[in-house]
Amino acid sequence: MAFGIKRGVRFNILSDGDLDRIHWGTLHILEKVGVQVDSPTCRKLLKDNGCDVDEKTRIAKIPSHLVEEALAKKKTSITLAGRNPKYDARLDLNHSYMTANGNGAVTVDFETGKRRPSTKQDVANSSKIIDSLQNVHIHWPMVSSTDQHPSVVHLHDFDASLNNTEKHVMYETGVTLSDAKTLTEMGYAVAGGEKEYRRRPLSSCLQCTYAPLQHDSGVMDASLYFAEAGVPLVFFGMPQPGATGPATLVGSLIVGNAEVLSALTMTQLHAPGSSVIYGMGNAPLDMRTTIRAGGSPEHAISSAIATELAHYYGLPSCVGVSATAKEPGDQAVMEYYTGCVGPLLAGADLMCGVGLLEDSSCLFYEQIVIDNEIVGAIARLIRGEWADDTTMALDVIEKVGPGKNFLTQRHTVDHMRSEFFMPSLIDRRSFDAWSQAGSKSLRDSARDKVKGILANYKVPPLEKDVQRKLDMIIEKAKKPMWGGESKTH
Amino acid sequence: MEDAITRLRNAVINYEMETIADQAKQALKDGVDPLLAIEKGLAEGIKTVGEKFGKGEIYLPELVMGAEAMKAALAVLEPAVPKGKHRSSAGKVIIGTVQDDIHEIGKNLVSTMLSSNGFEVVDLGVNVPSADFLKKSDEVKPQMVAMSALMTTTMPRMAEVIGPLKKKNKAVKVLIGGAPVTDTYAKEIGADGYSGDASGAVDVAKKLVR
Repeated sequence: MAFGIKRGVRFNILSDGDLDRIHWGTLHILEKVGVQVDSPTCRKLLKDNGCDVDEKTRIAKIPSHLVEEALAKKKTSITLAGRNPKYDARLDLNHSYMTANGNGAVTVDFETGKRRPSTKQDVANSSKIIDSLQNVHIHWPMVSSTDQHPSVVHLHDFDASLNNTEKHVMYETGVTLSDAKTLTEMGYAVAGGEKEYRRRPLSSCLQCTYAPLQHDSGVMDASLYFAEAGVPLVFFGMPQPGATGPATLVGSLIVGNAEVLSALTMTQLHAPGSSVIYGMGNAPLDMRTTIRAGGSPEHAISSAIATELAHYYGLPSCVGVSATAKEPGDQAVMEYYTGCVGPLLAGADLMCGVGLLEDSSCLFYEQIVIDNEIVGAIARLIRGEWADDTTMALDVIEKVGPGKNFLTQRHTVDHMRSEFFMPSLIDRRSFDAWSQAGSKSLRDSARDKVKGILANYKVPPLEKDVQRKLDMIIEKAKKPMWGGESKTH
Repeated sequence: MEDAITRLRNAVINYEMETIADQAKQALKDGVDPLLAIEKGLAEGIKTVGEKFGKGEIYLPELVMGAEAMKAALAVLEPAVPKGKHRSSAGKVIIGTVQDDIHEIGKNLVSTMLSSNGFEVVDLGVNVPSADFLKKSDEVKPQMVAMSALMTTTMPRMAEVIGPLKKKNKAVKVLIGGAPVTDTYAKEIGADGYSGDASGAVDVAKKLVR
């Protein structure tokens, strides 16, 4: 069976003319306004290729032909491989893949219910939960291992993820050149060498650009390294409409697009043919509370139009969903459902991600399985319908005739598993059956499901010698922190 | 002989509605005891099907098709049971949807679940005249009469049956169900039991018929 969510429905928001105008508008911004490039290496790269670079302001103005050439060079067939090949996610513009959300710093303890800094055990547990779920296809380290030495927290995140899921792991912590080197080395170690890794990259890195129109030095140096090393990249623009981008969603899309296309241009100049995925997460700033409005309809529609733009470029999209809710339940469900359904109906290729609340900062184990249920329902919604002999079932209708039912038809049995979404948390029992079983809320059922997974679900760990290699890489990467901090655990 | 019985059991579990009757005929030809074939073959098979449905391992159509398969085989085996011998059962039940009401899926489901739990079920179908419930219960002498109504307009038909039924036979138990039916209504009209769904109906039936 194919992995991922098969898409058969797509709605269109922007017209072809809209997309042309957004593209040309973006090229205009890149040429006339430019982007701020903090990395000297990247500025040199751009200057050597004919960009107008001001060393004082660090602003590079990029001619449109460079962008068009870069778009022509990018790798178009990208597979995000899993440690287990059955989890290979082929970005074929025909399937959607759901990811976990990433790198919160707080976890609500599953046993005590208390909010506390997240630990490596939380990363391990959430990885295991993600591995077990049918509707989440790509893993992210969901929280940070804040109980580990500060210089190697992100390496422990990656380590705990690799050990507890066989799905592809995407991280967002390759933000300096040395981070990029270490994370790549770990990926190679798990794949069984560089050659194997390049053939089946079992990790990837999501890089955020800085709105409006800026590129962080460490992030871009790391990105060039990743591009060359065969690690697939997502460039993820996230202007907040109304704050770091224009209030109009299309205006903010242009700001984010300029960031993503300029980052893509740099990687293609440095490493032609490297894998780049088009990312965008434009959630507006809530003007009353100053909180980023993740899971808002504007977030959803921004992600949907960003997906249309990515496909216009022949690039797979990676767009965001999140929630501002403070606990699992009604609000979180509304925000996640809204945030997922819009982009998925528009054909988002990667949808990130499930399980974190408070705008991607706080992990509740229960929310992971609730979101899995939401995605299951949406997967059915976007699968598409078609009329052929089998689906029309004229012969069956004729056979049953008026007044009977279809329960005892082979056709029913043949289709009931593929035709109907069978929920695991939504309770469709009668009132009596439900109340006799303890009148459980969605959250209660989610809790039971998590308990079951943590107690019974097993993921094959990495082989011992691979684990030893990872331990050594992490140990070697440990370094004193700012202010002379040199404590080791 | 063991093999023929195992095959019949599996034919119910795999809902082989189209071929099970032939298998039953062959079993009789081979000298298999029809009573044994019913009790160890069909009844065991439908019990497994009921359990799987209860656990959510199989879906409704599979349950109903398993019951259909059992019915088809029973039609062959039952007439071959020697006079004076009876299959053991959890109890005899008459079931039907009341007069003026043609809704059958819920009633069928209860009927199936009861038979998969060892009850001997006589299903009168839908739109059953109240008089027929009474006539049939004189004839069959069931431990329980089960009635279904899906509409508020047909619910009073259940009361119409209960009065005369209880007058004739004090021991007979009455189980009612259907979307508009409630526990309170059941008490009001003198029914002995009520359930909101099919699995619950089996539990209630087991309590009522001992």
